[in-house]
Amino acid sequence: MSLNPNWLVAPIVLPLIAAALGLVFSRWGYRQGAQIQRLIALLAVTGNLLVALLLLSVTIGQNERVVYQMGLWPAPYGITIVADGLSAIMLTLTAILAAAIVPYAMGTLDQRERMNFYPLLLFLLMGVNGAFLSGDLFNLYVFFEVLLMASFVLLTLGGQQAQINSGIRYVVLNLMASIIFLSAAGLAYGTMGTLNMAHLAQRIDKVPPAIGALLAGLLLIAYSSKAGLFPLFFWLPASYHTPHPAITAFFGGLLTKVGIYTLFRIFPLIFPTYLVAWQPLILTIAGFTMLTGVFGAMSVGTLRRVLSFHVISQVGYMVMGLGLAATGNPVLASFAMAAGILYLVHHMIVKTALLMAGGAAELEMGSGILASNQLNGLVGRRPLLAVIFFVAAFSLAGIPPSSGFISKLGLLQSALTGSHWWIAAVSLVVSVLTLMSMVRLWQNAFTGHATQPIYPTAPLTNRERRWLTLGPIAVLVLLSLSIGLFSGPVFQWSTVAATQVLDRAGYIADVAPTDVIEMVTHE
Amino acid sequence: MLGLLHAVIVGILFGTGTYMVLQRSPIRLILGLGLLSHGVNLLLFGAGQLRRGLPPIIADKATFHGEIAAFVDPLPQALILTAIVISFGITAFIVVLVNRRNTIVRGEDESLPGDPFALQPLSAQVAAIVEDDYEYLEYTLVDEYRQRGKRTQSEQEADSA
Repeated sequence: MSLNPNWLVAPIVLPLIAAALGLVFSRWGYRQGAQIQRLIALLAVTGNLLVALLLLSVTIGQNERVVYQMGLWPAPYGITIVADGLSAIMLTLTAILAAAIVPYAMGTLDQRERMNFYPLLLFLLMGVNGAFLSGDLFNLYVFFEVLLMASFVLLTLGGQQAQINSGIRYVVLNLMASIIFLSAAGLAYGTMGTLNMAHLAQRIDKVPPAIGALLAGLLLIAYSSKAGLFPLFFWLPASYHTPHPAITAFFGGLLTKVGIYTLFRIFPLIFPTYLVAWQPLILTIAGFTMLTGVFGAMSVGTLRRVLSFHVISQVGYMVMGLGLAATGNPVLASFAMAAGILYLVHHMIVKTALLMAGGAAELEMGSGILASNQLNGLVGRRPLLAVIFFVAAFSLAGIPPSSGFISKLGLLQSALTGSHWWIAAVSLVVSVLTLMSMVRLWQNAFTGHATQPIYPTAPLTNRERRWLTLGPIAVLVLLSLSIGLFSGPVFQWSTVAATQVLDRAGYIADVAPTDVIEMVTHE
Repeated sequence: MLGLLHAVIVGILFGTGTYMVLQRSPIRLILGLGLLSHGVNLLLFGAGQLRRGLPPIIADKATFHGEIAAFVDPLPQALILTAIVISFGITAFIVVLVNRRNTIVRGEDESLPGDPFALQPLSAQVAAIVEDDYEYLEYTLVDEYRQRGKRTQSEQEADSA
């Protein structure tokens, strides 16, 4: 059965319609508006999850790409939307995270719920889904901007002083990255006369190597900044701890990974020669990203800041997968890529669960400061939250049988097979340091005697809100455990996705750009 | 020649924009970002080749026998239009953010001495109006953490008294 390609539009259009509908109801009374928006958001994320699973079953299950040419314009002239294994995996994970965040937000959110939180979340979802499906560079830029606009507003929702200060940094640095991205797109169009990714991949050999290197470098800088890679990560720990925990969790699980996805998509497809040539650079970036992230996490003193630094450190592992895939050996390349994708899957689930649990802990005690006895004694008071946090933290550190162990093992194995000894060593050291940092969180926030009263508006005091808060985190943690236990099939799926990502010729053949107008060469 | 001039203008816009963004004053930051986005728009404009040509409209497809190369590429203009809309929206958002920050952090001025755009300290009367305004709009969200600090403080005062 081949899927009707019109389905590809659903992950973009569904959140858009739901968000617009939610905005219509935003003025319906003080509470009712938010109630209706809740309902709409729940329906939309459920529908989105179903569509994503459908796409996953087609692309991974039947190992094919679904290509939709909008308005039936042939490839380089119209807008192309492509879903392959990697896109479908990312779409599914995004849908799972969105479906977890909406109930969590219902359980924990304060007045910000009535400031159109759910429509904004759905706009963000639309931008992210569009970025995963986009088949040309300019639409990728547009969807990036859609998701960034939504994220700017979500980050500063509520307008507290810390949020505004961090929001300015976040907006400016992301805008700079977007400007670099846009100039790369302009240069690509000026030199190759196309923006379609498959068409660019066809024509990249016809431009002088210097221009190719310039394009690859500009895109690397732009995406690294969005992904939070060394040395362009500084906007992330400055801003991620300031908004409401539900927003932090969604951002930490999702936004940097959009940057990683584009690196995984663009480099093997358009710049395979530069990927191989720049392997040492990419591995160095990965190593430094891991180290700075984990050192930063060990030096800061509030719960969510520690966890946001760990986002950076973990992103390094994924780029390590990309760097290890930059080899001439196809078997090794697809193994390393599959390990990178598996790490992406593991990270998105576990990181969101951890940020949700950490955020719930902060909301319980009204503070995230680790040192001053503000936050301790949660084991006795909120045992379920403590258990969930414990499992998620040790999955992040890579203790078996969690998903973290399997994905780190895959990366380590491919590093050792490719005899990249030092990156293997760095990844092991960072793993140990991550464990130390998690133990520190556990000791400071959860064990010990309770000295502070539970915060009056704590979400876990109310029975209904307790289930809305803890239920989604528990589901995500169980998902992580089951990925660890049933790692065989999951690794197989990521291998399918990895071979599809590395299969340039297949991608070009499926999108099938026509070459009616010859490329103008400047001499 | 035109190409060289175009490249120089793009370079100047990027250079001045980057310089302005690196300044500490928020207003220069905004202007710098504006210059940078103008530079990119001009760069996109140059991607369509700077030359004379026919407008890209084919009146009758059946009788058309011309060269495609005779037409001017319309795509960069569509790209620029999109980019302008996006950068306009983001710039407006940053202006609001900076304005909001200035009304919260009164007196904490980061502009250089002699800056014509420097933030003036609000008079007591204006400050009261701003305060009222925000309360009226429910713009100031109750900061839970700060609230808690206040409560414990007042409790302590009650205890000591």
